[in-house]
Amino acid sequence: MSDALGFFFLLMSNGVMIGLMYSLIALGFVLVYKATDAVNFAQGEFVMIAALAVALSMLAAGAPLWVAVLIGIAGMIAFGFALERVVLRKLIGRPVIAVVMATIGLAAILRGVGPTFFGAGTKNLPLPISDEPFILGPLFIPPIQVLGAAVSVLFIGAFGWFFLKSRKGIAMRAVADNQQVAMAMGINVQRYFGLAWAMTGIVSALGGIIWGNMLGVDVNLSLVGFKVFPVVILGGLDSIPGAIVGGLIVGLVENVAAGYVDPYVGGGTKDFAPYVLMILALMIRPYGIFGKRIIERI
Amino acid sequence: MRLRLIVLLVLIGLAGVHAAPAAANHEIVIGMQCDRTGATQIVGTILCPGKHDYIALVNSKGGVEGHKIKALEVDHEYKVPPGVESYERHKKEGAVSIDVYGTPHIYALAAKLTEDRIPGTSPGFGSAAAADGIRYPYIFPIAATYWSQGTAAVDFAKKQLGGSLKGKKIAYIFYDNPAGREPIEVLEDLATLEGFTLRTFAVPPPGVEMGAQVLDIAQRFRADYVIAHLFGGAPAVSIKELKRVGYPLRKVIAFVWGSAEANIEAAGGFAVAEGYYTMQFAGVGQDYPVLKEIREMYKKQGKPAPKEMASTVFYNRGVLIAAIHVEAIRNALKAKPDGKITGVDVKAGFEKISNFTLGGLVPPLKITPNDHEGGGLVQIWQVKGGKFEKTTDWFSAYPDVLAKHIKAAGSK
Amino acid sequence: MFHRECGVLKTSYEADMALYPLPIARWTVGALAVLFFVVLPLTLHEYYLSIGNLVWIAVIGALGLNILVGYTGQVSIGHGAFMSVGAYTAANLATRLDSPWPVNILAGGLMAAAVGAIVGIPSLRIKGLYLAIATLAGQLIIEWIINHVTFISGGVQASIEVPRPRLGTIPLASQRQLYFFLLAFVVLAIIATLNLVRSRVGRAFIAIRDQDIAAEIIGIDIFRYKLLAFAISSFYAGVTGVLYTYFLGIANYEQFQINVSIDYLAMIIVGGLGSILGSVLGAMFITLLPIVIRLSMEAFGGMFLEPQTVMNLIPNLRLMMFGALIIFFLVVEPEGLNRLWRNIRNYFRIWPFAY
Repeated sequence: MSDALGFFFLLMSNGVMIGLMYSLIALGFVLVYKATDAVNFAQGEFVMIAALAVALSMLAAGAPLWVAVLIGIAGMIAFGFALERVVLRKLIGRPVIAVVMATIGLAAILRGVGPTFFGAGTKNLPLPISDEPFILGPLFIPPIQVLGAAVSVLFIGAFGWFFLKSRKGIAMRAVADNQQVAMAMGINVQRYFGLAWAMTGIVSALGGIIWGNMLGVDVNLSLVGFKVFPVVILGGLDSIPGAIVGGLIVGLVENVAAGYVDPYVGGGTKDFAPYVLMILALMIRPYGIFGKRIIERI
Repeated sequence: MRLRLIVLLVLIGLAGVHAAPAAANHEIVIGMQCDRTGATQIVGTILCPGKHDYIALVNSKGGVEGHKIKALEVDHEYKVPPGVESYERHKKEGAVSIDVYGTPHIYALAAKLTEDRIPGTSPGFGSAAAADGIRYPYIFPIAATYWSQGTAAVDFAKKQLGGSLKGKKIAYIFYDNPAGREPIEVLEDLATLEGFTLRTFAVPPPGVEMGAQVLDIAQRFRADYVIAHLFGGAPAVSIKELKRVGYPLRKVIAFVWGSAEANIEAAGGFAVAEGYYTMQFAGVGQDYPVLKEIREMYKKQGKPAPKEMASTVFYNRGVLIAAIHVEAIRNALKAKPDGKITGVDVKAGFEKISNFTLGGLVPPLKITPNDHEGGGLVQIWQVKGGKFEKTTDWFSAYPDVLAKHIKAAGSK
Repeated sequence: MFHRECGVLKTSYEADMALYPLPIARWTVGALAVLFFVVLPLTLHEYYLSIGNLVWIAVIGALGLNILVGYTGQVSIGHGAFMSVGAYTAANLATRLDSPWPVNILAGGLMAAAVGAIVGIPSLRIKGLYLAIATLAGQLIIEWIINHVTFISGGVQASIEVPRPRLGTIPLASQRQLYFFLLAFVVLAIIATLNLVRSRVGRAFIAIRDQDIAAEIIGIDIFRYKLLAFAISSFYAGVTGVLYTYFLGIANYEQFQINVSIDYLAMIIVGGLGSILGSVLGAMFITLLPIVIRLSMEAFGGMFLEPQTVMNLIPNLRLMMFGALIIFFLVVEPEGLNRLWRNIRNYFRIWPFAY
């Protein structure tokens, strides 16, 4: 296999894997938006806090991996419920910008809390997988990417099934569709809001573990949150399969840009290439590829 | 009601400020900037305590020529507006020298420092052209600039690759901002001079994901050597990524800000980073007399040595920076024993520094009115067997190439 | 008793349409003018004046953003990028063509307005959050362009040193001189904005914000007005960028990154969307907040904690307080400081009566 073609496949495989890992974080965003219509600008910070909690319990308390993971997930569930109760309940019905700014404020708080209580140095989040890549022909696939992609696909499938088939999932979709009618039908809207945020917490914890292992756990981990936007906008803000599709597209575009465009323009296109694609896609499909069309009534 | 409460709190705060005592009469003020919460907090949270500890040590021994030093630190989160505001504050408190932190900040403050005639230092970062002391009289790099680091890296790569770089491929991976791009022109010049192929790989800030660039370096470009100029969280990520694509870390040399225990630990520990070469502008390790003295000082106060001391790369750099400021002030006080020194005197004091090595922690810098960099000396230390091991002693390389670029930059 | 509205009779249309028809309003504005033009610059130390300068620059930027977000309802996270466009335009003109500062400021503003209109083109099709993210994309793309196109950025360092503005032959270098320079622009900006929102264009903006489909039906060309809103808002941003460059003496894109855009959004939210007083108050609040936190921590923190801990805590505390205050204002007082002020003013309107 020629070198250039081999490199192309390498880039593609890297793109697919990384894209699926972005989908995992995007899933958290989509879950909240789908259930509560709230936009979570603090998704990256959720991932960071979850990763900090897991890393700290492993390092400081010496807990074994599975205990730390459970602590992380449990902590994030509690955090999600608490957040909904204390802050977000009061912002129901406000314009878009209010919730956006609230989550931006929350992001700032979390960015301050992280280093204060967890320390500023970068912590390592060791997972019991080797660092040596799997070699499949011309492809080098690091085990962590395989794990991340697998977890991502698994949970997206699980949540997709949840929303489609289970009772609670259907209830949540009802709440998202029309809160008042759902309430009239006897659904406890506030509890489902809390549940939605808790689910985001779980997904953030998983994302935090995977990304924390890849990048090291410190305040900069919250910056993966910025990658979420092109993913969810491309896929559709409230579409779970859109999270996968969007993630794949962003991952592939990033790698293609880095591999083939960067050498000609001096580098750095990787970060905004997905955004350019996003704007183009939005002009054609303003609600994303799978997004729900918002019908405005005067 | 709430409004009244807020107003009351604000007023109390401001009143408290005015009630606080001003700097004591014989205290000399150094203005320090730090980043403890921004993009480079991994550096700042260890670097700045190092500076404070050295100043505390000096004060505990009676100060400099009998005058105590007051180090006023302001955290600017690596953002420029708070950095400028902190400079104004330092000026108000009568600082005679400013320890600037951050490449964008030294750029932003260069004009003001020269106008106000207060010397500012930018050790190991900042504008390499500022080494020219005639063109930039009040800016002092006092440690290897990015250009010097670049030439040293190429020189080291040359020695590692058997003495000649002809036909070899060198990859330069860097943070895509002005600080990262600074060495490129020097590296390109050296590429023509030594006959190697240079390819640059930009990592956009914040540098959390560089899989594609690393893949390119390892699999497509197949570099013979990698020069890495990353900082913050990016060096650790680069180490992990390079390992993941199977690139040997002993073919990597990192600039000074990707070279600390903190970066290695973030990458997974010394075992993971085995073979990685790092560039240092201050001595590494606990084995220096001044560090022993700082530990003694803490013991006398009944406190354990601060945990930042274990992160020796950044901590020792903090000590170095503070020490050079103190030496400049010492020189200024020797010329004006009454203690009424100003920024102009401290500038002259900086330019007299030579043969000040603090037991090996500080390279044998020679700062003159022409050369504010002091020689651009670096050491190379390698990650080996679970710790840093010294590979070379203080050296600098290609002085003629550097001089050419500095002159060209100065004439603009 | 003070705020007398009855008995104030006008005899001409101009008098009735004046910006401040009531005598109490005129007295207040006069007092504020005396305070800001005379009292403060003469009594405060240069350091506090430099903080004041930062506040004035922020006020102009916040006014611009409020026009777009508060009055037209288009959420934009790209404000920082427009500022850097203005800054670099002016810096390039100043260093290459040696043009005087009025030309630089105007050129910077117009260039930013043009770029802003381009970034605003998607607003035809996309709304709400999607538009916000599209403007975020604009911010990143502009940053990249400035970073990489050396014609604009002036070289690898992407910093251009700018000579101080000159009034005749006097360079405006000290904080006190810059204070008056900036204050003049702030006054201009406030008057311009006050008139803009009362004009036909302003009413179109408000119509678009309230219900853009209905606005289109009654004949307002929403695409044109949306683009105009982006352009005007970016003009303010460009001018802010230029003034900031003059304040610092150097243009550097790293000063105008996304955290700046978010700071300005915070300013108008805390101050109050869709109000000019809100923009001013919000700008003052957000700019002064970190300084106040630091000063009070330094004064009081030493009592409770070790100096090093205080040092480490201050910046994190600022982040936490910043976030907490935004959430506080959103939950408790969604219309921001402006509403708080209105409440106080309404109390005094009928004082000493109860209703």
